[in-house]
Amino acid sequence: MTLKVIKPGLQTTLQGAPFSGHRHLGMPAAGAADCLSLALANHLVGKLAGAIAIEITLDDVKFAAEHPTGIAVTGAAAFVRINGKDRPLHQLIHAKSGDEIHVGPADKGCRSYLAVAREIVGRSLLGGQSTYLGAGLGGFQGRALQAGDSVQWIEGSTSPTTSKQTPDGLRPVLSDKHIIRVTAGPEISALTSYSQEILFGQKRKIGLRANRMGLSLQGSPIEQENALQMKSAPVFPGTMQCPPDGEPFLLGPDAQTTGGYPRIAQVVRADRHLIGQLRPGSEIQFVKIGNGRATEIYRQKLSLLTPWLGAINLW
Amino acid sequence: MWQEVVSGLDSIAVQFDPARITPDEAIDLFRQQLQQPQAATVTQARPITIPVCYDKAFAPDRDWIAQKMGLSVEALLRWHSGQQFTVTMLGFMPGFAYLQCSEDVTEIGRLPKPRQKVVAGSIGIIGDQSCIYSFSSPGGWPIIGRTPDRLFDPDQDPPALLSANQLVSFQPISRAEFDTIAKEQPE
Repeated sequence: MTLKVIKPGLQTTLQGAPFSGHRHLGMPAAGAADCLSLALANHLVGKLAGAIAIEITLDDVKFAAEHPTGIAVTGAAAFVRINGKDRPLHQLIHAKSGDEIHVGPADKGCRSYLAVAREIVGRSLLGGQSTYLGAGLGGFQGRALQAGDSVQWIEGSTSPTTSKQTPDGLRPVLSDKHIIRVTAGPEISALTSYSQEILFGQKRKIGLRANRMGLSLQGSPIEQENALQMKSAPVFPGTMQCPPDGEPFLLGPDAQTTGGYPRIAQVVRADRHLIGQLRPGSEIQFVKIGNGRATEIYRQKLSLLTPWLGAINLW
Repeated sequence: MWQEVVSGLDSIAVQFDPARITPDEAIDLFRQQLQQPQAATVTQARPITIPVCYDKAFAPDRDWIAQKMGLSVEALLRWHSGQQFTVTMLGFMPGFAYLQCSEDVTEIGRLPKPRQKVVAGSIGIIGDQSCIYSFSSPGGWPIIGRTPDRLFDPDQDPPALLSANQLVSFQPISRAEFDTIAKEQPE
């Protein structure tokens, strides 16, 4: 009962809901970098929003279905092909025993999700099965998939037969230009007033240092009034920190739990799934909003998604 | 109500679901909780002794640390294993512990260039602060020894061996004792 990995791509991992409630022990969230694309893929194969699926990064990947299963692909992939034949994205499709599943590279954006209608077996810990690469925990042996690996599913777990496709209005628009909304971070006042202005007034670009843990944000230097000597403080996915060299970075799903650089902004929950689609070269305009507005936007987004996905959370 | 409660060295953060409560409500609730005496009571885990092998093979920085602190290697190890440390926080990696002792000593500072790989169980020191690496990872602390104890085991409850405010001391062990304990650890 397996999907065999033929071409693993750059970094392909099992990811679902994040780990929750263990940050005080140093355990990061991990989980899907783009939780919205994960939820959309899982929905098409009849699973809960946070079920584990296969997260694919930039590159194309190939699997061989050793047993028949329904699958769905969402996110950045340019195409999905079965035995070389184009099949639709954002729709339940069927793979027969022996079929080759080819998920295309990301033309724009960064991550794709291949959801499998069967119940994938991941290494369980702390109430989850997502992969945390930093400590080699969870997922498939705590690591990214390699050629020859077999992703197992539970025998007898069934595949839905009714085909559905994501409504047009809910398909995320893929782009390498983003507007991301943030609230001010606790140490924002450590920055010079000019730097506070340009942080939200000028676009920034994702640098080459970009992974599930964090992404560098290139642009005009962001300077501090006096190099703030702060003690290590809690940080979260979506926290933007600024070291003394003036190049801020944005933390991703595998963000460590505490950090010692000024926390200058926090990506609002409604937009945090976009972090999973950022890649080196992506342009971002950060827009600062207030806490009240951030809450409104989040609730509005959930109310748009609920008719299709049911009651869900984004993270 | 809180999805996460995380303390830093001089701060605390809570995470909540903004679909359930607004930030203003969360702030009010958190303020109330801080004013309740039981919320302020810190549960302190029992003091723990961690076995450490200070052999050169496990302690690549041992000798120059001793030199920088103006001590013989023996005196450095006697000093380190004679201190009582307090866990100031967990962070960086699951189960990674930051430790502080009360004695004023020479600041050592971090390595100018972090190592690509510090082995799990390694004990770091930068002066009055020590740390224990829970998993093999890149790291910038000078390394003085290694414990065979497992710092984070997801099958245990709680999964982390140490917790904030716990008192920690180090017990020197030989290489043979290290190997024996390491063999008994679950995979």
